[in-house]
Amino acid sequence: MTAAQTQEQIIAKYPSLEGKVHIASDLRVWVDALPASEFEDLLAYVHDEMKYDFFHLVIGLDSGENLEFVYILSQWEAPADNEVLLLLKQYAPKSNPVIKSVSDRYANATWHERELVDLLGAIVEDLPPGLSYPLPDGWPEGNYPLRKDWKVEFFDPLTLTYNPPAPAEEKPEEGGAK
Amino acid sequence: MSKKVIVPIGPQHPALKEPACFSLTLEGEKVLSAVVGVGYNHRGLEKSCESRSYIQSLYIIERVCGICSHSHSTCFLQCAEELAGVEITRRAAYIRVLMGELERLHSHLLWLGVAAHLIGFDTLFCYAWRDRELVLDLLADLGGNRVNYGINTPGGVRRDVTPEQIQDILSTMDILDKQLAYYVELALGDTVLAARLANVGKLSKEECIHFGAVGPTARAAEVNYDIRKVGPTAAYAEIPFNVITDTHADVFGRTVVRVLEMVESVKMVRYAVANMPDGDILVKFPRKVPAGEVVSRYEAPRGEDVHYVKANGSEHPERVRVRAPSEANWHGMAHMIEGDYLADAPLIIAAIDPCYSCTDRAFVLNNNNTGEQQVFDWKQLRQYSIDFYKKEHGFDASKIKIAEKKHF
Repeated sequence: MTAAQTQEQIIAKYPSLEGKVHIASDLRVWVDALPASEFEDLLAYVHDEMKYDFFHLVIGLDSGENLEFVYILSQWEAPADNEVLLLLKQYAPKSNPVIKSVSDRYANATWHERELVDLLGAIVEDLPPGLSYPLPDGWPEGNYPLRKDWKVEFFDPLTLTYNPPAPAEEKPEEGGAK
Repeated sequence: MSKKVIVPIGPQHPALKEPACFSLTLEGEKVLSAVVGVGYNHRGLEKSCESRSYIQSLYIIERVCGICSHSHSTCFLQCAEELAGVEITRRAAYIRVLMGELERLHSHLLWLGVAAHLIGFDTLFCYAWRDRELVLDLLADLGGNRVNYGINTPGGVRRDVTPEQIQDILSTMDILDKQLAYYVELALGDTVLAARLANVGKLSKEECIHFGAVGPTARAAEVNYDIRKVGPTAAYAEIPFNVITDTHADVFGRTVVRVLEMVESVKMVRYAVANMPDGDILVKFPRKVPAGEVVSRYEAPRGEDVHYVKANGSEHPERVRVRAPSEANWHGMAHMIEGDYLADAPLIIAAIDPCYSCTDRAFVLNNNNTGEQQVFDWKQLRQYSIDFYKKEHGFDASKIKIAEKKHF
């Protein structure tokens, strides 16, 4: 399936995605970030119907108010010299960063999803039990190194403690009311 | 009913070349189940790129792996150059391919040596690593270092290839041709080797797809998948080669694939130097990269390498993600070990060729007495070594013949 056919088929099934499916190059199709509820349905369609059945990886990003997740997929039976990558994105608010595991469809997604948990603090529902990855045992809770507000200079690797400076106290205005 | 025993291998273990933990449940000598634990070497390189410029990040990314450093730096630059709208020259693209295929040769020779050592075939180990030295010498000559070559730079490559270097490359390929003929004969015809490697660490075609295996691990199971064909970058679309596959789906198949891939790499190196276009090797790369995001791929010696770079319009990348091929191949590891013998576990683990770092060669020595630094050329370094061993260990190594180094 070419990039143009991929774009066409997704928009035909989901007309609301008109303008949100972009062909970045001959071999790359990007879909704008969707909320987790809409993403699940689209992922099921591209896997089950369009046969984007090979999972390369998922990338987590801190985009300010939200966490974003980029899924890289391809078709196993694609032509041997013209493989299109489909890049789907979903987002979840940082205040409640819940997404659903895709490991029921892509078995090799588990370790990548564990990384989202450790490094970004995502909550991945239905993630099969297993060892955490990649942070060490004893890593302090609530410390997510790939979040933008986590600064490496405040982390002590010997004691595994995160010591940000105390917020500066607000100084009362000098002179008072005039 | 026999008792079940859990044997931990790693994270530090004589049979492992890198830190990982395998918890194997045995019944007798058979592995019933395996739990794989990795992550001991996570260095936070991606986070550190976020506070550095693109060229600073390049040198961090090159150190993701000590063996396939060129694969990572090339893949990262493909992202950065696409984001910046920079197209490298054809000569630079050919030089990147040349380095990439030499890297594949040294990586596969290293693997062949490790695998041979693990099965007690130390003659083959010595041969493979001796031949790897020839390739490392070429890489050091072309780039400046044996493993982290530093040939890549945003917008092209840092060093051009001279006619003298091309002659050296071609004469080394002549030597490798003869050696590879021997390795091919071994891989395809040696009954002892076949008996030791066949049916060990099986991972079928369907299982490779299920677990997302890549590179020689997947190609050994008849998976015709090579990024140099399915999404060629640099000059790969112009260079003819065959994708090597095998049907055995075990360590034997992975050996056959790697050995035959080396034959293809030698052909590609010859083609690249014979057809290298004239021209510049570098185009201007902007200090600030326009906002956007790109995914790029490269066929590293171990398989598909994937890089993602998001730019925010500044001098620093917003996010960098590296998925090395070993990360893809670990998923099927437990399945490969289960059902095999404990004694096969180190070989099965090694058969995906997991990454580990090499130590660079030192040319600068500190004198402990005076504190002075002294730069040695190759002959002085060798003489120093001979004198040291004669004095400290009573061993005279001066009669050992080694290849002359022309450019050190």
